[in-house]
Amino acid sequence: MIRLECDKRFRELIDRSFVEEVSEGERQLIHDHIRDCDGCKRYVELTARTIRGLREFTFTSEPDSNAQVREILAHHTGTMRQQNVQFKIWAAFVVALSMSFVGSALVYQMAKRLAAPMHFDTAQVQAGVLVFWLLPSFCSALCLLAAPGENRGIA
Amino acid sequence: MQLLADLVERCQHRLVRYLLYLIGRREYAEDLAQETWVRVLQRGSQYNGRQRFDPWLFAIARNLAIDYLRKKRKAVQTASLPNDRDAMLLLPSSGPSPFEAAARSEDAIRLAGQLRILSPLYREALLLRFQEDLSLPEIAQVLGAPVTTVTSRIYRGLAALRSAFEEGGDSPGV
Repeated sequence: MIRLECDKRFRELIDRSFVEEVSEGERQLIHDHIRDCDGCKRYVELTARTIRGLREFTFTSEPDSNAQVREILAHHTGTMRQQNVQFKIWAAFVVALSMSFVGSALVYQMAKRLAAPMHFDTAQVQAGVLVFWLLPSFCSALCLLAAPGENRGIA
Repeated sequence: MQLLADLVERCQHRLVRYLLYLIGRREYAEDLAQETWVRVLQRGSQYNGRQRFDPWLFAIARNLAIDYLRKKRKAVQTASLPNDRDAMLLLPSSGPSPFEAAARSEDAIRLAGQLRILSPLYREALLLRFQEDLSLPEIAQVLGAPVTTVTSRIYRGLAALRSAFEEGGDSPGV
């Protein structure tokens, strides 16, 4: 005759032994108990059978499934790489452009100081900086965008 | 790229199986699996290398599946959508369930019928534990739920499935 209390306690323990880790002592306890308790023994069998049944669903995958995924990933890798290169190019252009203007401002200040003893006026200094410094550096920055991808030397 | 190819080789089968059991349609499961891998490629930097890869992969797949089911149901019915994300995971009521298609043994066939009517939350927890062999903390990570909730779903799911054998004349004899 199975007592209800024993039943509930052991059933919980049995469930736990299938789902989680139980100690060796608890495992032994279940083992000893089900020797004398037909109800719990049957419960263990049914639980084991249920879990075995769950593992017996056999799913067959498409033979070219992995190849398809690899192909898609290769395509996306290419796209991502391209986007990455584009981003780097624009970032480099922005940096080059700002350096071009900052550099030009510094060169202009320096040229103004040097121009005084040489009797150059401001317009001449500005024209000189524009032609020999600002325009060349601005063109160099633009070259980053204009050059073909493999020659950009950034990626 | 080689690492990702190896992961595809190792996990694609399980990923499609998980998605199939989640949404019930093979063609969509395959599509979602591909989308999952693209996400893995895009968000690889977010993966914490100290943990197992599989739960992270399944979590991405699950979120995509829920979003997909939500969009699909929004398209057919504009009103009274469930707010609970998990409630989205009901199997389609028409056609054979993926479990019926995948059942090879007599016991599996019996369980397939029960799984179809089982709460999707219990079903998913059971499959992650006993088909995918994930640990309880890993299942919790996939489902975004506490371990205690996962444990309780598994116990309740097991109890419901056991009844498939009990009702079939295999009573536990209590």
